Amino acid sequence: MPELADRPPSAAGRRGPKIVGFLCDWAVASQGLVRDDGTMRDLPNVTLIKIPCSGFTRPAWLEFALRNGADGVFVCGCPLGDCFNRYGNNLIGDRVEQLRRRLERQKVNPERIGALFYGKHAGAAFVDAVRAFSDRVAGMPGPAFPPRKPAPAAAGPASAAPRTGPAAQDGQAGAPAGREGT
Amino acid sequence: MYKRLLAGLLAATLRVDTLVARVYPDDFNPLYYTGGLANLFLTVLVLSGIFLFLYYTPSFDQAYTSVQFLTLDVPYGQIIRGIHRYSADGFMIVVLLHLFRNWFTERFRFSRDEPWISGMMLLTLTGFIGVTGYMLVWDQRSEALVAMTANAAAQVPLVGGWLRHALFGGTGLTDLLLPRLLFLHIGPAVGLYVFLWWHYTRIRHPKVWPPAVWTLFALGFVVLLTGLIPVTSQAPAVVSQRPQTLAIDWLFLTPYWAMRFLPPLVLIALAVVLIGYGLYIPYQLPETRSELGLKDSGVAQVIDANCTGCELCYYDCPYNAIVMVPSPNPGVTKAAQARKLRAVILESRCVECGICVGACPFEALELPRLLQKDIHEKVLSACQS
Repeated sequence: MPELADRPPSAAGRRGPKIVGFLCDWAVASQGLVRDDGTMRDLPNVTLIKIPCSGFTRPAWLEFALRNGADGVFVCGCPLGDCFNRYGNNLIGDRVEQLRRRLERQKVNPERIGALFYGKHAGAAFVDAVRAFSDRVAGMPGPAFPPRKPAPAAAGPASAAPRTGPAAQDGQAGAPAGREGT
Repeated sequence: MYKRLLAGLLAATLRVDTLVARVYPDDFNPLYYTGGLANLFLTVLVLSGIFLFLYYTPSFDQAYTSVQFLTLDVPYGQIIRGIHRYSADGFMIVVLLHLFRNWFTERFRFSRDEPWISGMMLLTLTGFIGVTGYMLVWDQRSEALVAMTANAAAQVPLVGGWLRHALFGGTGLTDLLLPRLLFLHIGPAVGLYVFLWWHYTRIRHPKVWPPAVWTLFALGFVVLLTGLIPVTSQAPAVVSQRPQTLAIDWLFLTPYWAMRFLPPLVLIALAVVLIGYGLYIPYQLPETRSELGLKDSGVAQVIDANCTGCELCYYDCPYNAIVMVPSPNPGVTKAAQARKLRAVILESRCVECGICVGACPFEALELPRLLQKDIHEKVLSACQS
């Protein structure tokens, strides 16, 4: 496998791809699923961050995670139509779709961003879905974002920047540099 | 005890959801639309009720014959009357489903007590409207209902006589009875819309209508029932003789059936206790987030410098907790320079869900104890581990 050497280590790490998940407090119950450090018991490469509602997630945070070494990010909310906060999961579903389209224009595989919807007692199905997501991401080459150092690659995100708005740009400021290689 | 029971009921409710989800996609799960279905039935009830009202004569000698004329001689009268009757039953069923679903899934928590309390009042009014509707037909059942209700009302201590007078216009059967009952049927139905307004004030984009499939199914089912089991009146009321039997509609007339076994005063006390308990449900579990094992993130705060007045948070807040007000000064960031409006949080309505944070692309909203900075730190530590 000669081409493996060219790949940055993040995607081809021994424990699988690095995945960050945002988990709604009211969706899948995290007791028994998560270790103390936030990684999932069955999938140590997946770290879950608890949030008050899936709609709380800013799409910019998903992009932030991808730019900082995560190979995949997902948001998990309650089943569509049954959000504890009425529309949070529908909203994040739409926002994830928009983010996927936006990042696809920046040559990021949109499959790296996921939206899952599982209820409080659907822990097993949730783990299966995350495993499937992780496996899918594991099959993708390279880091989520092309390295910034070469000049032609840097033009991509810069030209798309006005679309994300000034604030979203602020959110990524200082983030990408230096950490691409981890 | 109650907490464990509620947890079990929540688990059961979610299990039912997953079962239904095997048949219907999430967006069409009828259990997610009990409120919208109730509104659908209410609309049908109002429209068919207007039709019935045009033919109804509220007097002792003509009430029964006018209903018979409507049923037998007016084109489609039988169908409209059946639709009115069966929609009322459907209304009661979906309202009860709505009640139990929102109870078991704990949708009364935090600042959602007002929809709950207005909902209890809607339920009480619904029961009352249903009973007065059965009285208007003025067949034997109506007469029995009036007699039993008057008897029960008169037994209430202190206000009994007044209550009976208020409901039926005096002792015995007075000429006022049917006009008063007609008002007591239609007036509270208007009151339903007042309470519905209260029910909706704290809800952004309420699901007031089910998906078209369910609209058609509910209407079709009602019309089908109308054809299969036509609604008929019983024998006309004869004032001189008390009716001996009572045909029960279990959704509305269960208390009258219970009068066989319990004295009316006990039933009235039971009703008061039930309604009182219903109003108390949101305050029975005054748990804070930390007691629930959740992070207490604090009420959302607007960062004035960044707010551009774009209204995205205002549209997305599910509880109408954000209002846009004229901005006295421009913001600090470039995007906020030209703003005309700025967002203001109504803290009493905020449930700390953070949906506004996700809605804001200008970083003008934060949960005080779960800042974007904290999320960034968590993401970074997750990526580095």
